[in-house]
Amino acid sequence: MPEPVRFLGRQTRAQMPGQVGPLHPAALVAMQQTGQAPAQSSNHGSQRFLQGGLSAPITVTWEITAACNIACVHCLSASGKRRPRELTTGQSLALVDELAEMHVFQIHFGGGEPFLYPGIWQVLERCRERGLVMCISTNGTLITPERARRLAQLDPIYFQVSLDGGTPQTNDRIRGQGVFTRAMRGLELLAAEKLSLTVNSVLTRYSFAELDRLYDIAASFGAKLRVTRLRPSGRGQQVWDELHPTREQYKAFAGWLGEHPDVLTADSFFHLNAFGNKLAGLDMCGAATATCCICPEGEVYPCAFFQAPEFEAGNLHDHRFQDIWRNSALFAFYRNMGGGSCSGCGQYGVCHGGCPATKWFVHQSLHIKDPECVLL
Amino acid sequence: MSQSPPAYRLIDEVKIRREAFGGILYKYGCADRGALSFINSRQLIDLLLSAQQTYSGDLGAAVEHSNFSAASKQKLYAALDDLARRGYVLVNS
Repeated sequence: MPEPVRFLGRQTRAQMPGQVGPLHPAALVAMQQTGQAPAQSSNHGSQRFLQGGLSAPITVTWEITAACNIACVHCLSASGKRRPRELTTGQSLALVDELAEMHVFQIHFGGGEPFLYPGIWQVLERCRERGLVMCISTNGTLITPERARRLAQLDPIYFQVSLDGGTPQTNDRIRGQGVFTRAMRGLELLAAEKLSLTVNSVLTRYSFAELDRLYDIAASFGAKLRVTRLRPSGRGQQVWDELHPTREQYKAFAGWLGEHPDVLTADSFFHLNAFGNKLAGLDMCGAATATCCICPEGEVYPCAFFQAPEFEAGNLHDHRFQDIWRNSALFAFYRNMGGGSCSGCGQYGVCHGGCPATKWFVHQSLHIKDPECVLL
Repeated sequence: MSQSPPAYRLIDEVKIRREAFGGILYKYGCADRGALSFINSRQLIDLLLSAQQTYSGDLGAAVEHSNFSAASKQKLYAALDDLARRGYVLVNS
């Protein structure tokens, strides 16, 4: 059993000259264990372009507050209460300006529940002024007719309303009593304003049987269904064993996706490519290359699912975002990780070893195979 | 009698950014499938940016006002046909 990694604190971590941000020794060791990344020239598909890192992320996930009015059992950021060092509205507006100047295409707001951030309207309005496309991931329960009308003025703006089951029973065992009904009301209000919607659903052992029902619910609001992979981060660590889908369910799900080409996946199931049929979208992890995550207190991580203190690339209270993106020691190592124990696998070219965050949270290693590798 | 080329128009939802290898096209939405393309031709990226910034998305105008050779223009039109198949460009015959 590997020992849990101790967070050493910012002052005691190694920092390389000319590089931004702390580099936690445990992260360094974990990344080094994966070996060298394949030469860029030998890569195929999107990896060839992403390996060196882009000049800016394509999409930034911004968890703007940890405050949330519900308490999902699998919450990837263990949200609930607002945190003491959350970015002020002024800091957030400056960040929007910086992201726009870097030509980031889209900001994906999450949390927590974004509508509990005190400056949310100012931030959204600034995004619109700066030409940044907005996508808001919400639990839908705080949408009112007035808010829906105001949001409609901010187009282009997209919404993901979470439902983790097609019935109140399944959804509410994950998201809390009564949440299904309240989320459905939120969807209704957003749809009434003709806002662009997706119903976002984390695939679990329980929701798997309700995929068709979720698809129909989304369609009833003129929305698409977006199914994403459960990760063992935040509170998800405690429920991972109970909730993560079985191999048989994944096999059936890959087939179901083939029959429903309009279902979105956020490219989160590329590990299923190893079944033999490549799914649409990116065939690799885009963390630290195409995307990254900004957390409420200014922490920057490789992705929303990798909110481990050891993998903090830098903090916006200390550095500008562009300095972290371009010069972070952690991101530099992360972008050049090798395939670890997957390197010799014949399927490596189609799944690239799966999700690093899942590996880390389950086994505190990046060298091992994805715990949900379909070839295991 | 020569036939005039079809009209190519960059759709409004496409965002473009230069990168060291060429550039990126992004058709926005919530992590939609197939919304992202890596283009390893700086010439094509320059043309798309020129169409977007100077010709209101009219790619034909951007091609015709460019200094590209006839052979290069032919290649660019072939590339635009490919982008049309991928949903970034509208073509009207």
